[in-house]
Formats: sequence, C-alpha cells, structure tokens
Amino acid sequence: MATKNGTPDDGAPNNGSYTSENIKILEGLEAVRLRPAMYIGSTGEIGLHHLVYEVVDNSVDEALAGYANTIDVTIHFDNSITVVDDGRGIPVDMKTLPNGEQMPAVQVVLTKLHAGGKFDSSTYKVSGGLHGVGVSCVNALSQEFNVEIWRDGYTWEQDYSCGDPTTLLRQTGTSKRRGTRIHFLPDKTIFSVTEYNYDTLAQRLRELAFLNKGLQIMLTDERTVDAKTGEAKRAEFRYAGGIAEFIKHLNKGKAVLHDKPITMEASRDGVEIDIALQYNDSYSDTIFSFANNINTVDGGTHLSGFRSALTRTINAIGQSMGLFKDLKENLSGDDVREGLVAVVSVKLSQPQFEGQTKGKLNSDIAGSVQAFVNERLGAFLEQNPPVARKIIGKAIDAARAREAARKARDLTRRKGALDGGGLPGKLADCSERDPARCELYLVEGESAGGTAKQGRDRKFQAILPLKGKILNVEKARYDKMLGHEEIRAMITALGTGIGKDDFDLVKLRYHRIILMTDADVDGSHIRTLLLTFFFRHMTELIKHGYVYIAQPPLFKIKKGRFEQYIKDERELNKVAVKRASDGFVVRHGDAAVAIEGETLTRFISTLEDYLGFMGKVDKRIRNERVTEVIAKAEFTKRTDFMSSEESEVPQKLVELRAALVPLSEEFQFRALSELERDEEHQTWSLSFTDQQGAVRKIDWALASSAEFKQMMAKFVQIKDQLEPPFLIEYQSKADDTAAADGDESEASESTEVQAKAPKKAARATREPVEKQSAREFFEYVVEQGKKAYDVQRYKGLGEMTAPQLWETTMDPAARTLLQVKLEDIAETESIFTTLMGEDVESRRKFIEDNALDVKNLDI
Amino acid sequence: MPAKKSAKTKPLRCPTCGTLVTASAEDFPFCSDRCRRIDLGKWAMGVYKISSPALDPELEEEHESGQRG
Repeated sequence: MATKNGTPDDGAPNNGSYTSENIKILEGLEAVRLRPAMYIGSTGEIGLHHLVYEVVDNSVDEALAGYANTIDVTIHFDNSITVVDDGRGIPVDMKTLPNGEQMPAVQVVLTKLHAGGKFDSSTYKVSGGLHGVGVSCVNALSQEFNVEIWRDGYTWEQDYSCGDPTTLLRQTGTSKRRGTRIHFLPDKTIFSVTEYNYDTLAQRLRELAFLNKGLQIMLTDERTVDAKTGEAKRAEFRYAGGIAEFIKHLNKGKAVLHDKPITMEASRDGVEIDIALQYNDSYSDTIFSFANNINTVDGGTHLSGFRSALTRTINAIGQSMGLFKDLKENLSGDDVREGLVAVVSVKLSQPQFEGQTKGKLNSDIAGSVQAFVNERLGAFLEQNPPVARKIIGKAIDAARAREAARKARDLTRRKGALDGGGLPGKLADCSERDPARCELYLVEGESAGGTAKQGRDRKFQAILPLKGKILNVEKARYDKMLGHEEIRAMITALGTGIGKDDFDLVKLRYHRIILMTDADVDGSHIRTLLLTFFFRHMTELIKHGYVYIAQPPLFKIKKGRFEQYIKDERELNKVAVKRASDGFVVRHGDAAVAIEGETLTRFISTLEDYLGFMGKVDKRIRNERVTEVIAKAEFTKRTDFMSSEESEVPQKLVELRAALVPLSEEFQFRALSELERDEEHQTWSLSFTDQQGAVRKIDWALASSAEFKQMMAKFVQIKDQLEPPFLIEYQSKADDTAAADGDESEASESTEVQAKAPKKAARATREPVEKQSAREFFEYVVEQGKKAYDVQRYKGLGEMTAPQLWETTMDPAARTLLQVKLEDIAETESIFTTLMGEDVESRRKFIEDNALDVKNLDI
Repeated sequence: MPAKKSAKTKPLRCPTCGTLVTASAEDFPFCSDRCRRIDLGKWAMGVYKISSPALDPELEEEHESGQRG
C-alpha cells in the first residue's frame, strides 16, 4: 500500500502531511476494491451472489436476535438488488471515531472494515456476519449503493458510489415503520459476471428460511414477468417446520426408509444445536452443515462431531439389537451414511471460521455435538426399533457391498501378472498367437483336463481344467461352486480383465471359449455357473458368439468291428428304432391296419416326440392313461372349454368326463368332479382326486401350456395310428438280417445264449408280439433295437481316452459345438437367480415344480 | 400351473438388487456398476452355489432326464 501514498484521495482529509491516520483509510475499502476475491471469494458468479448473501445475512441476524420477521429481496431489471427487512434499522446517531471525527453510525458500518454491531455479543448473541466486513464490502464493490432506514418515526437516506458517500445522511421524511432497505448495483468494472441467477438466490434464501423457523423471505425477479398477469416472478419461503422440512424438501421424489425425519434440537454449552436426518434408498449421502446460517461447505467441528456420533450410535444400537451376527467388522462411517440426508445446524456466539467465506467451522464444539447426538439419536433408535432396524439394515447392506467390491478388486489385483506372461499354472496354452484361431477349453475336473491335454491339437487348442468345488452340506444336499482361484485363473487365461472399466474385448486371447463338462448333474451345474458368470460379467463374449458348449458323446455302440458314438438318448433311440423296425410290420387297432417301411420309421420317430411331451404333460396329471385320454379329447382352443350359454356345458369336456369314468374306477380315484364353472375366466373345467388324494385339474390353463400344445402338435400327426393294440409281426424277408443280428448280440450276452438257442430254429415263424399301449410298443421296439448293440454309456469325460475325446468332441472336422446365444441365456439367467437364491426350501420347491423346465438350464 | 413364459416376454431383473433392466442398459444385465461390482465380489467370495438335495434320488433322476430331454 506504500505506493498509494502519492495518490490524491478525495475522500481523505487532505492536510498536506502523510500521517498514520491516512494509511488507515487507504487500507480500508480501497483494499477491498483492489483485492475483492479476498473478501467475497471471487469476482465471478460466486462473488456476485455473495454480495446479496452479505446483506441478507445482516437482516437474518436481526431475525435471530428476535427483531425481524420478514426479508424481501428483489432483483431489478439492471441486475441491481434491493433487500428490505423489518428489523430495528441501522443506528443513525453520531459516533466518534478514534481520530475524533464525528460520523453517523450507519456510515461507519458501511465504510469502515471491521466496524459493526457483531463484536458486542450483547447486541447480537448469534450472528453469521462477524468479521464486520460484510456490508462495507458490498458498498465498496457497488457503483451505486443506497441505504434507507426507518427508525424512531423518521426516514433516513444516504447514497454511496464505490464505497464513498456521495451524499450526507439526511432525514427525508417521517415513517411509522421500522427496518432497513439497501439497494445496490454491483460495479461492472470489478465483476466479470453481472447477471444474477434467480435459482441460485432462491436456493440460498430457501435454505435460510429452513434454518430459521418461521422467518419469511420473499424473492422477486423483476426481469422475468408473467406474460398473462404482468406480475414479476416471485417466491415466498417460510417454514414452520424448520430443518425437518428442509429434509423433506431434499428427499422429494426419493423413496425414504422411514416416514418422518428424525429431529434433535437443544441448547448445549451455549450452542444451539438443531439436527434433522432421514434415510432414503439411494447409495449416496447428502449432508448440509450450517453454523450461524452459514453453509459451511467444507464442514468443520459441528459436522465431524455429528458424523462420529452417528457411526458410534448406529454401531452401538445394532450391537445391542443383535443385528451384526454375520458381520465381520463394525460398520464404517461410509456404511452408516449411505442414503443419509441430514442437516446439521449450530448457532453459537463468537464462531471461528476459516477465511472470510466461512467454508469451515473451527470452534471447539465437536465434543458437545457428539455427546448430544449420541444421547438423542441413541434414545430415538431404542424407542423406535422398526426404524432402527431399517436404518441399520441398510448400513449392513452397505458394509456387505463394500466387502464384495473389495473382493472383486482382489480378482484382478495382481495386474502386472495379468498383462505379462503370468498365465495361470494350470493352463496348457496353445502355440498359436492369433486369437481368431485359438480355442480355450474350460474342462471340468483335473482328470478330464489331463485327458483333454493329451488329446488336443496343441497348436491352437488350450486347456484350462476347472475344479468345481463340491460341498456336502449337512449330508442333506450338495453345493456346487466355483472358487476364487478358479474364477481368477479363468479371467487371467482369457486376458480380457474384468469389471466395467477394465474389461477389454480386444485383449481376449481366444475367440472360441468352449465349455466341456460331464454329462451329469454336476457337470450341468458347473456349466450353469460358468454361463451365468459369462452372462453377467463378460456379456460381450456371448454377444460376439465366442462362447460354445462342447458336445461329448453320451454313448458308444458297438457291434463287431462297427463302432459309433452317440450324442444323446434321443439319437440312441433313433438308431435302435431304425435297427429294430427294419424287420417288422405293425398292425394297429381293431382293424389291424398295417404300417411299414418309411411310414413306420416316421411313425415311431413322431411317437417318440409325442411320448416325450406327454410325459411332461403328465407331470401335472400323474397318470399316463388319463393323460392319453385327455390328449385324445383334442383340446386346442379356449372355446373348447366354453359354452355359448351359461347353462350349457362344453361338449368336449362332457365326452372327456365320460371317458374318464372307467379309468376312475380302475385306478380307484377318490373323486371325479362334475363340470365346474370358472367365473373368473368364463370357462369350464374338470377335476379328479387321485388315489393319493391329490386334486388334478383339467382346464384351459393345462391345455394352453407349452408342453400340452407341443404334445397335441405331435398327436394330430399320428392320431390315426395311435389305436391300440399294436401287433408286431416279423417279416420273413427281414428275418434273415434280424436273426443274424440277433445272433451276434445274443452271443455277447453270454448268459442268454442257452436260453435263446431254441428260438433260432423257430426264427422263421417268430411269434408276433402284441402291446396294449403306445408307450409299451415304443419301449419294446427300442429295447429290441438296443439288444443288437453293445451299448456303453459315458458317465464322464474321464471315461474316454485322449484319442476318443479328440475324435468325438475336440476335432474341428468331426465335433459339434453349440454356440451360446444371448437370448437363450437371458431365460436361463432368471432360473439361475432362483436356483442360487439363499432360501434352500424355495429353491428345492422350484426345482421340483419346474422339473419339466430344467432342461432350459442346458442351452 | 401355467407354462413358463418365453424369454422375450420376461423382463430381466438386476441380479443384485432386482430392479428391472432393459437389454440396452449400459450396465446390462445389471442396473448399475455398483450392483455389478457387488455381484463380482460374490463370485469372488464363492457365494454362488447350485445345490441339489442329496437324499432325493427321484429328484436327481428327474433332473438328469430333464437335461437330456
């Protein structure tokens, strides 16, 4: 400031000498204009709005002291601001300055830094303004500044520009009202932003209204005028509920955990503490802290006292309510703050802040706040256990989530190892480096993994054996899971990394990932786990069609030197039927119509499908004879269960009931109902109570099920041929081959050689066989066909030799691979969710109820 | 019991929190990255198990035949 000593200063008394008094005045408001940011934070948007807060804070202080009820803020067309309050009015009497000069008190307040009423705690016990620089800074930074005071029956006015008075304080009239009106236009040479933002001001003024229960604050924006009414935009803030209403405002539109905010209010050790909090179902926290109405954006002692008390109290209550049984460690501060919306407001005399913008409270009150919250929140939660349980439950969820996230990070923690040559030890990699040509087999079990390693083409096929951990839980069930190491090894081998930010498809080391598991329940479970994992965390692999399922054969059939691998039961049946039906004619029904040749083969194949679907439908009926009768009723549409008139009954159902009467007697059903009307669906139904007492219902719900429709689709194709009995007549022409085959197959079954010997002689006149039902007929044919072969069933991959595994499952020229599609797996996902649920009982029930759908597990 | 609906008509739920998720969602099949991380952590902790009752051979059989069907 020394450089300023040569500058003429109009406002300073010019006595020709440079005295210490001069320096004081030069350092006054001139300093504010030189370094505005030091006083109001910035010369941008924040500083511009801060000017309003400084003036309003003074009015709020009047309210806090109990003298003002209303504050009226107006934004004018020229972005100047007027603030009017109904407080006592700034004093206008003369004050003697230290240098002996006489000056009206209001002029002292508006022109001298560190002057004001806030230093005397008898005037303002609690105040936000305290450095005494507030309103004089606003004056210094305004090109126009007018003050009007109504006090003791008179009106007083004075005008300023850039902090200097342009008029003397003068009495301009009489008035019955009381209060102060300040109007100012921010100096455009100082502020880079001069346009006021309505929402910013509204937010702060609303905040002040929340913080000061009952105080009324109005905001008018004359720049925005309603087109219809011509009225300026206006808002009024007044909250009788105080900060509890603030909380409700903050939680608007959110799902809250408990209806009412929890409030705590008291005066402790000379500090007024006012706290309200409420939890919502989100994962973030919103905590506002205020000291003497000032938003302490950087917190401070009041906030830290609140936070530590919250953590302590919730842990203590949770402990005493026994809610932490399966929790490894205490809830952290982050856990208890998830979903928290809180307002912590303290009011105290002589607060200590950091800096003029008061972002952080330094007063030593952490202990008082903490003790207060411990006591009050603890008492509240003890008296409201349902609320306590909800809040603590949410914090426990948060703790679990945190633990899970930590474990997830562990999966890829050894990042260096993932990037470099740190492939898992169990991986037998291939020599090819182009991912498009590489395949990775994920093989269940160490021994099968070993076989696959021997059988593979090591140029492009890599093998990673995975061990599905199997736990026998209380001898009641087997739990299958993939351990941490298995998942880690898999991620490492694939090379993509994992997680939203880390997963990178470009780094994938193999473009074919082939799951190769045993064809048993365990294998299916491991596959289910793997697919679920891929679906959830490596969706891209499935989207790009990189995931496949290997199809190891389930059987090998042998006859002399002839060998064939068979994929599944269905294919085995097909081969057996083909073999067996080669040598006979079937006559069916009373008319004994013959089926033979191509027609016969097609009939048996369709019959197999039909019987398969019928078996599924029968899961709901549990009596195949009945199910067969239902199939023959040929229900295909809803109207089959409806009648045109309410009193009439649908014909098909009547006929079905008649057909069921003899069966009901034969199987000793406990009851066979009359036709029942289902008003809800305007349909009729029929039910029977079987010998075990279970009620089985025949209605549209049954007939509209997928399996029923599929059954009917097959039924119509072969219904003409489904008439029992089925008479199997061996043909003489085919006899030769059939018998010759019979020879060999029988020879392999050494125990039967003797017994069957006589039949050989009678071969030409082999007796026809009669079967009473379609299923018996089918099973007989399959049985006959299978007898022709030596059938070996592979229980697991381990039963195959390395060359066999190559030949059947791994050789690209011969194998079949199923490509996993996203749509298939999406359906599977919802089943997994149930299968993997924590409630064992419901899971078990689910499996039973959906036994017919479990095949969906296998894509 | 009515038949299970097909995959197309069945809305998918976030495996972690159960919120409905559409296939075009950024974090599909999860609703958020948070839920994704929680789920990944569960895999890492070996939470996911598929169990089959050990004392119910009939169920085991059904299960098996279902697979091949």
